[in-house]
Amino acid sequence: MQIESNNFIPISEISVKNEQMIDAVRKGTNSAHTNRTKAMYIDGFEYGEALRQQAAEAKRRAIRQLPELLERAEANMQANGIEVLWAVDRAEAQQLVRNIAREHAVKRVAKSKSMLSEELAINDMLQAENIEVVETDLGEFIIQLAAEPPSHIIAPVIHKSKEAVRDLFMDTLGMETTDDAQEMTFFARQHLREVFLSADMGISGGNFLIAETGTICLVTNEGNARMVTTLPKVHVALIGIEKVVENLADYATLTQLIARSAAGQPIAVYTHMINGPKRDDDVDGPEKVYVILVDNGRSNIYPTDYAEVLACIRCGACLNGCPVYRSTGGHAYGWVYSGPIGAVVTPLLNGLENARPLPHASTLCGTCKSVCPVDIDLPRMLLDLRRDLVEAGHTQFLWDVGIKGWAMTHRSPQLYALAGKAVRLGLRVTGDKLPGALSGWTQYREFPGFAPKSFHELWRERETGKDNE
Amino acid sequence: MSSRKKILGKLKSARQPFVDIPTREEYLPAFKTLPTDDLLTSFVQKATALACQVAVYDTPEAAIQHVLKLIGNQKQVAAWDFEHIPLAGLEEALVHAKIERVEPQQLGVEIGITGVDVALAASGSLVLKSGQGQGRQVSLLPYTHIAILEKSKIVRDLETWLRNERTDLDALREISKINIISGPSRTADIAMTLVMGAHGPAQLHITVI
Repeated sequence: MQIESNNFIPISEISVKNEQMIDAVRKGTNSAHTNRTKAMYIDGFEYGEALRQQAAEAKRRAIRQLPELLERAEANMQANGIEVLWAVDRAEAQQLVRNIAREHAVKRVAKSKSMLSEELAINDMLQAENIEVVETDLGEFIIQLAAEPPSHIIAPVIHKSKEAVRDLFMDTLGMETTDDAQEMTFFARQHLREVFLSADMGISGGNFLIAETGTICLVTNEGNARMVTTLPKVHVALIGIEKVVENLADYATLTQLIARSAAGQPIAVYTHMINGPKRDDDVDGPEKVYVILVDNGRSNIYPTDYAEVLACIRCGACLNGCPVYRSTGGHAYGWVYSGPIGAVVTPLLNGLENARPLPHASTLCGTCKSVCPVDIDLPRMLLDLRRDLVEAGHTQFLWDVGIKGWAMTHRSPQLYALAGKAVRLGLRVTGDKLPGALSGWTQYREFPGFAPKSFHELWRERETGKDNE
Repeated sequence: MSSRKKILGKLKSARQPFVDIPTREEYLPAFKTLPTDDLLTSFVQKATALACQVAVYDTPEAAIQHVLKLIGNQKQVAAWDFEHIPLAGLEEALVHAKIERVEPQQLGVEIGITGVDVALAASGSLVLKSGQGQGRQVSLLPYTHIAILEKSKIVRDLETWLRNERTDLDALREISKINIISGPSRTADIAMTLVMGAHGPAQLHITVI
């Protein structure tokens, strides 16, 4: 997917005015955020926090031993009959998938949801090969029809109203008029059933990869990943190298927390564990299973202070709580991942210069960290990225001058006093709304009133008063 | 240099992050409490809350009657091999009712009947392993899934089941796919409206014997 994160401000200025879209985003995120709270704390706040701690440790332990766990996972997968491939970057991942598709004379691909596959632009590559690709997750299917990118990690069409989906199905698929979500879903079910049964290859992502057993783990509610990993004769799983976890116990915690965090469910409807292709006496299943372990910039993050971000399990909880995301929607972020996690990984995976506004797309309220099932300190990293931006020279002249001026007045008591007097005078002229270039700051706020005398002045008066006694 | 070497090399040459994180001895289960002390009662409550329809029977005859009622007027069903469905007499009862067992992909098949390898009380979940006589599609393609569950197969939760499996990891890995099913298929992708029956079965009937 083409990165457009540098246009965050102009795009969000347009999106905040799109009342229908923002209304849909607000409703969707409110619902998801509320459900997450209920599900995470069913056994009480303390216990829920203890589970978060357990999950946070599990991911960090895995990151610490990342290369060893990847080797162990690879060996176990190979012993299970899975072919394991490695891709350094997007071009290589595309090449590997292309080779597999050609080798198996693939004409039609059924895909279940994979954000990594969006990073790697797999669909574009397959279409260039004249291979039909159909997204089977209902939300992804809808945006594929609309030729739009997803706007949320978990709910790709959170930004579309029911009416918009209805119109889309009627225009592109000839659905009969209906306003009923049930009927629309059933229509999509029948349409996609035919795709599942005729696809030569299924492509999935991987939520977790268990090193101890070499198991690919997926979670869905719809059943499309079951279809995609059972019906076609070839299954390709694209898995980021950071998805590996050490053992079954860690997996048990993480798979139940991802469902609670992402969808407010104690456990996903379908939790699958895939060990390998169809065994000799199996009734059904794919004949060949490939796992492509993808780097695509993750190994660059690993040695830095941002390594923590590799713990992300892609639940979307941070999006649902973020006041910025809820005001702009996901498309403004300009890449695959949006919200707080997007604001951090987009510059880290694509270069700071390609996502300059994103570290500033935050009020630093801290909700993202408090809802993250693995306790990633996103606010700390957003601040660090802001510092990185300054160090790399990506700053604005006026902002620089302003901050340097502020620093100067706060280092010198005399300048501080002078500045205080100047502001007090100025406020008598402007009132509580700032003028000119600063007016944006007080568009929806009032500038706080200054006391008639500063603390220093009052103190001095009090002290001289004492001396005179 | 192969990509594998490049990637692993980069990771190995980095200073190890998170060196202070301890190994864990005791794991907290995701479900601290069950609704009752009894596994069966807890399982029934939890599965029902997930929109499963659960019925408990003391005799195979009663259970078979129930299954036949669920099948209703259908003349074809998909099913696991009968030796893997823990309901003695089911095969004969179907033959007697002139109900044919067919492939799950057959057009018009609306019912799939399976057994259950393990059930998880805390989450109301069914664990179905793929294997000889246990096809994956039977519990996936038809609109209705009827799962026959033996009481004795119910354990506390996912953590307990996985701990049990650790005694023979090789056997676990031999199974190509394990599905842990918690309720009928659903989606809320269209305007966050919950709808049952996205791609998998819209109805899940659990018959406990």
